[in-house]
Order: sequence, then structure tokens, then C-alpha cells
Amino acid sequence: MSDLQYKYIGKPADRVDALEKVTGAAKYVGDYYLPDMLYARALRSELPHARIKHLDTRPALNVPGVIAVITSEDFIDHGRFGFPVKDHFALAFEKVRYVGQAIAAVAAETPEAALNGVKAIICELEPLPGVFDMDHALDPDAPQVGFEREDHKHPNFLDMSPVYKGDPDEVLKDCPVVLHEEYRTVHQEHSYLETEGALAIPTSDGGVTVYCNNQSPFITKGNLVAVLGLDPIKVRVIQPHVGGSFGGKDDLNYLTACQVAALALKAKRPVRMTFSREESMIASYKRDAMHMRITLGADKDGTLRACKAIHTLDSGAYSSQSPFTAWRASIHAMGAYRYDAVKVEVTSVYTNNGFSGAFRGFGNTEACFGIESAIDELAEKLGMDPIDFRLKNCLRVGDVTPHGQKLTESVGLVECLETVRKLSDWDRKRAEYARQTSQDTRCGIGVAVLFHGTSLGAEGVDCATNTIEILPDYSVACASGLTDYGQGPRTVYTLITAEELGISPERVRILLADTDTAIDSGPTVASRSTILAGNAMRVAAQTLARTLNFAAADMLKCEPQRVMRIGEAYVGPNEEPVSWEKVVDHARSMGLVLSAHGKWSAPEIHWDHHKGTGTPYFGYHFAAQVAEVQVDLRIGKTQVLNIWAAHDTGKVIFPQGALGQVYGGITQGLGYALMEEAIYADGYLQSVNFDTYLIPTSMDVPDMTARFVETNFSPGPYGAKNIAEPAMVPTAPAIVNAIYHATGKRIRVLPADLERVALGKSLHKRGSPVSCKVGLKVK
Amino acid sequence: MMKEMDYIRPNSIEEAVQILSDPGRRGKLLAGGTDLLVQKRVDPPDYDCFVDISRLSEIQQIRVSDGVFYLGAGVTHAVIAQDPLILKYVSFLAQACLSVGSPQIRNTGTLGGNVANAAACADSLPALVCLDAVAHLRSKRGERQMLVTELVKGPHETALETDELITHFTFLQPPPGVKTHFIKIGRRNAQSISRLSIAAMGRKDKNGNVDFIRICPGAATPRTMRFTEVETYLMGKQACEELYVDAGQRMAARMVEITGVRWSTEYKEVALKAITERVLREVLG
Amino acid sequence: MEITFILNRQKVRVDVPADITLLSLLRDYLHMTGTKVGCEVGECGACSVLLDGKLVDSCLVLAPQVEGREVITIEGVCAEDGSPSDLQKNFISAGAVQCGYCIPGMVMAGEALLRKTLKPTRSEIREALTGNLCRCTGYQQIVDAIEMTAKQRSQTQSGRDKNV
Repeated sequence: MSDLQYKYIGKPADRVDALEKVTGAAKYVGDYYLPDMLYARALRSELPHARIKHLDTRPALNVPGVIAVITSEDFIDHGRFGFPVKDHFALAFEKVRYVGQAIAAVAAETPEAALNGVKAIICELEPLPGVFDMDHALDPDAPQVGFEREDHKHPNFLDMSPVYKGDPDEVLKDCPVVLHEEYRTVHQEHSYLETEGALAIPTSDGGVTVYCNNQSPFITKGNLVAVLGLDPIKVRVIQPHVGGSFGGKDDLNYLTACQVAALALKAKRPVRMTFSREESMIASYKRDAMHMRITLGADKDGTLRACKAIHTLDSGAYSSQSPFTAWRASIHAMGAYRYDAVKVEVTSVYTNNGFSGAFRGFGNTEACFGIESAIDELAEKLGMDPIDFRLKNCLRVGDVTPHGQKLTESVGLVECLETVRKLSDWDRKRAEYARQTSQDTRCGIGVAVLFHGTSLGAEGVDCATNTIEILPDYSVACASGLTDYGQGPRTVYTLITAEELGISPERVRILLADTDTAIDSGPTVASRSTILAGNAMRVAAQTLARTLNFAAADMLKCEPQRVMRIGEAYVGPNEEPVSWEKVVDHARSMGLVLSAHGKWSAPEIHWDHHKGTGTPYFGYHFAAQVAEVQVDLRIGKTQVLNIWAAHDTGKVIFPQGALGQVYGGITQGLGYALMEEAIYADGYLQSVNFDTYLIPTSMDVPDMTARFVETNFSPGPYGAKNIAEPAMVPTAPAIVNAIYHATGKRIRVLPADLERVALGKSLHKRGSPVSCKVGLKVK
Repeated sequence: MMKEMDYIRPNSIEEAVQILSDPGRRGKLLAGGTDLLVQKRVDPPDYDCFVDISRLSEIQQIRVSDGVFYLGAGVTHAVIAQDPLILKYVSFLAQACLSVGSPQIRNTGTLGGNVANAAACADSLPALVCLDAVAHLRSKRGERQMLVTELVKGPHETALETDELITHFTFLQPPPGVKTHFIKIGRRNAQSISRLSIAAMGRKDKNGNVDFIRICPGAATPRTMRFTEVETYLMGKQACEELYVDAGQRMAARMVEITGVRWSTEYKEVALKAITERVLREVLG
Repeated sequence: MEITFILNRQKVRVDVPADITLLSLLRDYLHMTGTKVGCEVGECGACSVLLDGKLVDSCLVLAPQVEGREVITIEGVCAEDGSPSDLQKNFISAGAVQCGYCIPGMVMAGEALLRKTLKPTRSEIREALTGNLCRCTGYQQIVDAIEMTAKQRSQTQSGRDKNV
């Protein structure tokens, strides 16, 4: 696609908030120190499952400096909360279901006084037996974690998401080559560098303004309105700069916002709660763990015929987003391939292992590890090159997916595979590494592909509205309900606005997300900002551009369609060019409205949750990644030497941002592959800070090579698709497939740590509750 | 109300030990602070006064005289890692110090602190033990000396009295031709806690026979110690691949003898074999 | 207790408890919030500052330890005219910034390295960043930014040397 048609789209650009971030001026929620501000701290459960026998908060009020204390009694309906399942409370009510669950909260003059207040609360917990193994959560005699269900299913059953096409059991009978294997992924901690936090400021009208480092301020607002019973107009949520999220700052932070708001209203003073790292790791939700059972069948010529994928997802103590995660996992569980028959069932269950929620890739990261490992194993059985096997079976334009969706455009998977094959010198290295005989260290090269549905999918309304307005200083202010917590949409909106209005990006300012100035556009999740709000921004800017063009035509005494642009200036056939400022002034004098709304709705799609068929998403991102590793066979250490990534992102709008997403995604995938594991032992998290929960350092990541395959995606703005989540999804299976190539050892349980690579199994110290108990009381 | 924490910065070792022995206060030595301030967060302090020795120049020297190395306890890992004398004669100590934490940690954390904190995984211990390093301790009661391997009795357990500080370490400069090497296994390439490590010194004579060998694994046994049985076995033998493999097996066997079978033994056995072979290849090859 | 030190080239005198960290002194007492809190155990480097020119984790420095010494925080990093430094500008143009929370620490780590050498290899740059965790960027564009700055500074320096 020619880049000549655009001035700013796809061109180098600076991130709009980078300057304030490199100077340290950008304020995050913990950077607010207000006069009279109180510090809040929560009393959190030290037991994984218990009945609250007795809770007396009065002693906390006797602690010097303590100003207010709250429990679930301070909320409407005990702060009952949760979407899609209302199974959680703003503060624990009757029961606690996981270690770290907030039971009460204290606001005090100093953090130390707040902690002393927490320690003074009398809280008697009666321990209940817990469920710690997802594979036994639905046993008839399993302890009950969830509520009784109206349909009389097991109370620990959360949901089951199916995809059905034909009868794979019948097809498998015909398949000469069949693979059946099980794969497991573990809980992963988001590890955003900034911990959770919220600051609530009571307003004079009895309402509250909350600064919260969440992803979706309108959801925070909705929850505040519901649990506090406030008039929506009196509740305002502002999102300051957010220090990373990756899916992780939603549910728990909604609760945090409710807690600080209730405390602020009670104390009639500003209240801020910011988590210690230990508190963050213990209390926050994780990526779910998944147990995957995959059966694949193929003909001898390498034609894939059938796939069965029966998965269990450990949702932990609460539903959070797990039903949606399981749904996305189910849609992607068979991988980006054609089959005659498919049966996918992903069941999510309750346990007392913390709780699971959204995390980059949202079910697909887990499912992709399973299917892309299995595909690799099947290629091996068939004696085929892993890339050839994938090329033979992967989705192309014109194919019908196993869900029943015809793909009519923007399927760049073949090109992605061919790109990484070439970049990585795949064929030579595959052959060369296959000849290695060293018993000390060996290299390997592996591939994985992915498809990843754009935006929310067939789960509900999918639209966004952005606003735009010309300010008196001729700058342009825009607002969006889809927010920037590091991924970069504010820069994307800026470039789109500049492109459509024909003005310099320096004139454009994207407001920080604020429920008083932006329009609710649903949650900022699912890598949907560029497509949804990017389109909405474009519509808004185009509307305003038409208004200005009309005013310019009036000044230039010509038809609007004859107005041209040179730089920012408007040029007509006859008159002297006029500046942007002059046109804006003239439009004002004509009485024209210099603001606009732009709304964009995703194409309608439908999914039948019982039949397991339909059109799950209106488009897909495709990608292929190749990893090259060096494995120390003796000590089990894997060094990733190279990653080549080709992503069909559609048109790239903000190249540095898109590259950053790919590099960052790969790095999270590398951690998931090799070192990250949030272990729960009898419900107690074993790593509560960065000294024991390891994420990749600068020395663990190689210089990566990324390419974009820009297939046109007609619903996307300028043809753009999503990028944030898909970047991390194929990395772990690519690395593990490379480890197999190097060692001949197949790792089916993540992470591929020292012991698994050296011995083929994991070794763990006996679990202990100590780190959690100490961590929850850390100063 | 808790007593407010005090802070004193003595100007000499003399003054420091004076403060430590003051019955009116419970002083805690503060050098790099990289362990102490982490512990302070999670454990309620059993002291009421920081005694900051991080600026005492007396304990920050590195020198060699008459074949004896003198290494101040207050020297930071960053300084050791780049010190020309260390790099020339005992480079494995520089390797070990370079493997500690991060640049930030190495810029403040000290050798004395690493030893006194006595973590099982302390990176400097295997090299110091290999060197038969002697720790020089001072208190108001006087001076005493102790081998590092004896000073550190086990994980976070030392023979240090609460009124005592380590002033420096001494060890003999290795004989000419002795090579040293250190290997550490971590779960990632930087900022990792040692899963297992090994330090060795070795030399072979002109016939290719081992005529000097010391070997000490780290994070393998509760007390960091030379495996002298293996050293004795190696002495005088022809340095070759078979010998290294043999030595690896003996090292692993000796480790299990000492520790018994623990959760991590299965891994440490195979890993210790591997790094023993590799470290011997470096110092004898 | 009373502590006097040089903070970003200015003499500062504060009266604070003896057992707080330099990080707490900067943020809770001086409200200089560019230095971030990440882990408070010396693992993440978000709180990195220069103490007498050396990179340290301010969460592991006891406040009284800075008595009489010089501390540079991100607020004190800038070009001579007060505008952002070349390193900061290169962080922007290299696309090295995402959520930004690790960035003040990264800038300090980069500055500490460039004070030692203007010819670092990419691997040396990566080593210099091992005490600074970033979860967004995968480090690559941060390494680019530091590499770019090193090249520019060494060119300027060699230009200056030639003129002399």
C-alpha cells in the first residue's frame, strides 16, 4: 500500500505523552499528595476460604490517626459486584474465597496509622475446606466455592464455551495420523510496574471524584454509582497516567475505587490507597491457569482433518472475566487452520487459587500454547517441516473457519509465515541444527502462528464515540472513552485527527480519560482502541473537516470540493491561500459549530453459545513468530537468541507504537515461556515481589525483528487492525517448539524452566503461607 | 509509642565498636543496606539504632602486600568487580561480585555485608571459601580471626556477635599459574538468586597433572565449604575430560551425603555435575 | 533528624525520621514524585537515582546516608538550558516510552552508563539496565535510545577534541 497518500498515518511520530514521562512530570495516582489527604489500607484475608464469624472494626477507630473504617455494610447490597457474574463484593460479605481478599478498609492520617488500624480490627475467620485443583473442582464432594446455582449445576461450575463443527470422533477414525496430548499453562502475574491505586475526593454536592489507575473509567463509575447509591452526575472518574495494566487493572481496582470512595464520603476528606508490591501481587487477579486436552487427526499427506480441544480453566475464587476468557479461548482453541470437524469445550471452574481475570491475549495466550505445541508435534509425526505443515493447512482468504465464518479479506497468515521463514533463514537452520550432536549446548528454531479476533466479539454492543472541538487558541481537543494506559491510543487518535483535519499533530490534544468529558464507549480491552475509537475519531474529525472546508470555500469564493490544502493552509482556484486560523475564525463568524461527535459501530456479528457456531469476530489479526534458542542441556537453561515476528496488523498508524507493542508482547511471552509462574500452594501465592516472581530483564531478551504485513482491513481506520494482545500470544509456543528442536524434549507444561528442561519435570519447594501473611502486613 | 529509630555515623572502627557495645542501645550495622533495608520492611527491627559504617575509609581498601591480599569489608561489589589486583590474581571473585544483583545493588552492597548476611546463595562466598579467606572481626573486646567457611555457619547464621563487625578479609595470593573461575546458575540472566554456583582454583604441572586444586560449590550445602575429599582425589591426577566427569559425580555424591535428599536435590545433582566439569575445564584446561 | 544534602544541584535541609528511605524522603516529604515506587526491595529500579554520580536504588538507601552528598533525581536531569536532555529526547524519538512508569529510572540508568562510557555495545547497554525492570517495551527501543545518545555524544566530543 502506498504511504504517499497519507501525511501522518504510518509515519514516524512522537508519543504524545512521552515528554512528560521522560521528565518525571507525568503524575500517576500515587503521585498525588493532597492537603488533608488520608491514607487507606485494607484488611485482607489470610485464609483461602473461610466464613467471617465475627468482624468488629470499632477498635480500629481507637487507634491514633484512624479517621474512618468501612466494611461491606457500608455499601448497597454489600457492594455486590461483578460482570458478567455478580459473585463478588466491594468488601467481603459472609465469606472470603481467596488469600488477599479485602474484608475491611481503614483511612488514617498516615500509612502507618492505617496499618495499625487494620491490625486492630477484630476479625474471626472460620476456615473452610478449599478447592485447589481445577481438575477436581467439579467433583461431587468438592468443597463449595461458588453460590448455589438455579440450574442445580455444581456450584463450582462457572461456564462452558463450545465450538462445534461436524463429528470429530467419526473423522478421527478415518485419520491415519492422530495425536493426543495434554498441555498445561500456569497463572501469570501482570507485573505492571505501577501497583493498583485510587484516590477519592469528596465533592461539595455529596458526590465524589475518583482518580483510579484502571483501564475503563466508565465501568468504575458504574460500580461506584451502584454500590454507593449516588446520582450518576455526582460521580466523576478520572484516569491519570497509568503505569501499565495488560488487562490487570480492572476488577480489583473497581473494588479499590469503591473502597476509597466510601471512606472519603465517610471521612469527608480525600483518601488515597496505593498498594505495596506484595499487596498487589497477593490481592490481584492473574492470568488463569489452563489444562488442555487436545486431539488432532490428519491424513498422511499432512491435511488436517479433525480437532478436539477439551479445556479446563481455573478461574479461582471469582468469575471476573473468566467466562469471556474461556469464550475467547474456545474460539481460538483449534488454531488458525481448516478442519472437517471440530469439537471445543472450555469449562471454567471456581477454586480458591486467588482469582483469575483479564490478561493480554485473554484465553488465546493459553490456548495458543496448547494448539501450536500440538500442531508442532503432529508435524513431527507426519515427518513434515513445521512451516510447511502450517502453510498447507492455515486459513486463507475465501476459507470458512471451523466456526462457520467465511473469511473474505485481510488474512495475511501465509505472508506472515513466508516472511519469518525468510527473515530467520529457517530452512538452513532447521537442517543445520538437526545435525547437532553436542551433549552440552544445542540450538533450535521453532515457529508458532496465531489468529486473534478483533475487539470484543459477539458478546454485545461494540461501538465507540469520540468528540472533537476547536479551542480558542486554534488547538484541537479530543476526548475518547477508550483510554491510554501505556499502549498508545492517544497518539493514534492524534495522528488520525491531524490527518483528517490537515493540521500539524502538535495542534491536537487528547484529553486524559475523564467520565465528565468523554463518552462511554465500553471497556478499553481486547485491543479494540485503534479500530473502534480510531474509527470514531476519524468520523468526528471528518465531520469537523467538512465544516471547516465549507467555511474555507466561503472565504475562497469557490465550491467546497475545489478547496485544496497546502500544508495547513486552504487554497482555492482564485483567491490567496488562507491559514487554518483564518478559516477557523471565519467558521466561527459564520456561526458554525466547531465541535463534533464521531460514532462508529462494529459490523454486526452473531454467536450461538449453545450450537457453538456463528461469526465470533468481525475480523482477525494473523501472525507468525519464529524463535531461535540455545539450550544448555546440562543445566536446563534456555537462552533466546532471536525472535522474528511478522504480524498482519492491517495498516499501521503509529509505527513506533506498533513496534513497541510487538517487542513488549514478545517479552511477556518470553517470560511466560521460560520463567513466570504464580504458584498457589493451598491457596497461598508463593511469590509476592519481584525478587521471587521473575520477569525478563534486559539481558533475557534478544534484539527482536518485527515486520508488519499490512493487508487491507476494510472496517478498520485506513485499514488498520489490532496489535496489543496478539503480539504476545505466539511467543511461548514458538520458544517451546524451538526448545524441542534443540533438545528433542517436549515441554508440555509451562514454564520451560531449568528443571523442566533438564529433568523433564518441575520441582517445587513445599508451599508456605508465610510470604503472604507477612506480605499483607508489610509497612 | 515505639521508640524512634536512631542513626549514628561513627568516624572510625574504634567508634563503631564502641557504639555496638553500648548497653544503652541496640545498634545495627548499616553498610550497603541492600539486605538490611529489605529485611526491615518485613521483619520488625530488633535494634533501635543504625550504625552507618558505609563511609569508613578504613574498611574500604584493597591491597596486596607480601603475597597477602587485604580486602576491606566495606568494599562494594562494583569496586571488586573492576579492581585490577582482583582481576589479575583472583578473577573469580570479580566474576562472583559481578553476578550479584544489578548495577544499583553492586554500587552499594558490600563484601562484608554479603558475608555477614550469610544467605545460602550469597554469590561471594564460594570464591572466598576457596581462597581460605580469613575474616577479621573487631569488637570492643578486641580482634579475632575466623575462616569465612567457619564464620558462616549456615543460611543466615554466623558466628558474629552482635557487638562485632567484620573489618576486612585476608587471603594468600594464589601461587603463580593458578587459574580461578566461577560459574553461577540462575533462573534468568541477571538479577537472579543463585540456584547453584561453583568456584574453583586450579593448576596443572608440566606433565599435565593436577598440582593445585580447590573447589567450592555455592547454594549446595548449608555451610559453604570446599569439597576437600574431591580435591584430594583430583590432586596428582592427569587433567582430562574423564577426570572432570568423575569429579562432577564425586561432587554431586558428596553434596547429597551432606544435605540428604531435598526437594531440589534431583536437579542440583545433575547441575552440579555439569558445572563441576565446566569449572575444572576452565581452571585446568 | 536533620539531613543536609545537595539535591539536583541545590542545597536542601530536611528534618525527617532516621529510619525512612531516600525514596520516602523524596516522595513523601519533598513531594518530588518523578522517582517512582515499584517494589521497595531493590529489584525493579523504578526508584533509581544518582548518589554521588553512582546509580542506586533509593528504596535501599537510608535517608540519613545522603548527608552531605549529592543526589540527582529525574527532576534534575536536563540539558544546560533546562530543556529535556539529549537522552530524554532520544527516549521520545526512539519510541522507548509506553506506560512510562519505569522511564525515570531507565533515564537515570542510561545517564549513569553514559557517564562511564560513550562507546557502549548494545550488550553493555543491556547490562547497564539489568537493575531496571520494564514490562511494556521489551527494552529494545530503550536500548536504541541510549545507543543513539552515546553516538551523538561521542561525535560531539570527538568534534570538540578536534577543535582543541
